[in-house]
Amino acid sequence: MLCKDIRDYQILFLSLFLILGIGTRDWTLHPEFIAVAIASCIITQIICSLITKSPDSLQLINIRSPLITSLGLSLLLRVDHWPTMALAGFAAIASKFVFKVGEKHFFNPANFGIVAVLTLTNDAWVSPGQWGEEWWYALLFVGTGGMILQRVGRWDTTAAFLGAYSLLAAIRNLWLGWTWDVYFHHLMSGSLLLFSLFMVTDPRSIPNSPMSRIIWAISIALLTFILRNFFFIPTAVFWALFALAPLTILLDKFWITPRFSWENKTELPAENNQLTIIN
Amino acid sequence: MQLFRLFLPLISAILALLCFAPTAWAFCGFYVAKADTKLYNQASQVILARDGNRTVLTMANDFQGDVKDFAVVIPVPTVLKKEQVHVAEPKIIERLDAFSAPRLVEYFDSDPCAVMEKMADMPAPLAGGRMESSANKMRRDSNLGVTVEAKFNVGEYDIVILSAKESGGLEIWLNRNGYKIPKGAKELLKPYIRSAMKFFVAKVNLDKFAESGYQLLRPLQISYESLKFMLPIRLGMINATKEQDLVVYILSPQGQAEITNYRTVKVPSDVNIPVYVKSEFGDFYKSMFQTSYTKEDKKVGFLEYAWDMSSCDPCSAEPLNNEELKQAGVFWLDNNSDRPVSPTFRSRFPSSSVFITRLHVRYTRNKFPEDLMFQATSQRESFQGRYILQHPFTGNVQCSAGRQYQRSLNQRLEKEAETLARLTNWNIQNIRQKMQIPGRKFSTSLWDNFLAWLGL
Repeated sequence: MLCKDIRDYQILFLSLFLILGIGTRDWTLHPEFIAVAIASCIITQIICSLITKSPDSLQLINIRSPLITSLGLSLLLRVDHWPTMALAGFAAIASKFVFKVGEKHFFNPANFGIVAVLTLTNDAWVSPGQWGEEWWYALLFVGTGGMILQRVGRWDTTAAFLGAYSLLAAIRNLWLGWTWDVYFHHLMSGSLLLFSLFMVTDPRSIPNSPMSRIIWAISIALLTFILRNFFFIPTAVFWALFALAPLTILLDKFWITPRFSWENKTELPAENNQLTIIN
Repeated sequence: MQLFRLFLPLISAILALLCFAPTAWAFCGFYVAKADTKLYNQASQVILARDGNRTVLTMANDFQGDVKDFAVVIPVPTVLKKEQVHVAEPKIIERLDAFSAPRLVEYFDSDPCAVMEKMADMPAPLAGGRMESSANKMRRDSNLGVTVEAKFNVGEYDIVILSAKESGGLEIWLNRNGYKIPKGAKELLKPYIRSAMKFFVAKVNLDKFAESGYQLLRPLQISYESLKFMLPIRLGMINATKEQDLVVYILSPQGQAEITNYRTVKVPSDVNIPVYVKSEFGDFYKSMFQTSYTKEDKKVGFLEYAWDMSSCDPCSAEPLNNEELKQAGVFWLDNNSDRPVSPTFRSRFPSSSVFITRLHVRYTRNKFPEDLMFQATSQRESFQGRYILQHPFTGNVQCSAGRQYQRSLNQRLEKEAETLARLTNWNIQNIRQKMQIPGRKFSTSLWDNFLAWLGL
């Protein structure tokens, strides 16, 4: 059954990054926080599914999605105390059930969880410098992320985001007169790549049609650029994605395209999937 | 849709939070020696005390030439007025350094034959291996398209705040005014001019310096409001031919600070090293730092200390009192009322708290292309560079516990030697020789290893 769903690859890759991060980067990572994140995401998912659905649909409860969210939280979010991580997990998953229009949630769950604890608590933070700027990490993220994007067909979003952001950064670099190594150092940031390949592309919460995705991604790039260079917010990408997530709804109204479903994109027919995606 | 409508005010509230606050910038420039004295920046020490958008920056003056040759050009975020510039107590940086320096602790093994009495510990704080500092060179000169925004004197310094429209003009101005500008400065000044930064130019007023009676130049301290939490290191690299060391003490009411555009890595800590290192701790620390630096491909900043300043354990120096903290630039201690309300997300931290982060950055032009950007995080976890000496019990041991102790001791000493060799890249044979353990077998047999592995 493994790897029949694209998300299995995603889970695999995110776990790999987590292991790699713990092993090779100097992270203050607590295994118990990872466990808390996973538990809180899965429990919230189960409870919310039970509340919103009939009890007999229990066997259809989606485990992959909360797992991906919790791995994303563990990779990006740092906290001092475990209740904060639990709150992040809860907020992330609950956002999928609360903030939705029709059947579609418009916040990226992990992003919502991060922003929620950054604003609501005193002991959460994001370390944008933690991945460093090594080319092999860049290669790893592009390779693994590219593979997933290839299969879900969301390359356009990453390309539009990174394209727009690097163009803006290039213009700024040129105008300021910095040498180009400043520019490349800025763009090689592992956190930026991880975000653009694994977070901004979540097919369930982003606009459905290619045109609206491109507009959406460019807007996020623009807002990120503004927040970062004029307001000096190191975690600009998360705020930009959060602030512009509701735009998805508007864009979906303009460009009507069938909503993304994981099953339709898998290579194998959906009938083999025991854990069918419901939410 | 209703939910969506409910949500809109929240988004606008967040956007409003994000969009408040004026644009501005911050510091670190180059020393400009008036003569062509070959002085290079090797180590600088900077204190950054920051809460909300307000920063108080104290620069240790490590200039080691004739004071008449001293001059410094530093990009600053705003036009500074006289009341924003002070001369700080020279002792204050030494105090912070001593308080946060990597430390050596000493423990003594107890008699293994005596009943159950475990190590009497005796912390022996030693100030750590600080890299020596020296100064930067640069020359000075005078102008065109340059506005003198302010001109005043503070203590022994004559200070000019300049704004410029283009780098060529600034270069000419500096040259005309007797400052010699190093080659390549023009290109580097441009990005700062374009970012609307001002230039803080200081030189020594020799009469005032003689009057002051001080032997050395005192640190300059400036305060400003700026969204930007950074240190411009690029200018300082013009006249550096080799690696430069920068120790930044970041004081925050919030928690640990870190670099956002480079990795922040902890220095190796909490390791047992051979006792003989006690007499050469400085060398040990330098070699260890260099080894870690090389291992990390020379492109990370190192965390040497992170602690709430109300305590320390072990203390390598007395904690700073409130008066000293104020001298170091801490402004949020008891004057909350006249503090400007910051529009950023959080200023909900106990205003009496001061968290210190000591970052040690060794940088070169090719590995550190960008200026250093920082952020204060909420992390309150303590960290210190701490190295442990464990003195073996030297008395006579005859009991079986004693023999077991001897066996494990050999293992332990060997492990200490290996740790030291790994951390410092020193030759392990030399280390073993220096450890001078009489009758000690250095290559332990497989059987010994096996026993040790079993914990026997």
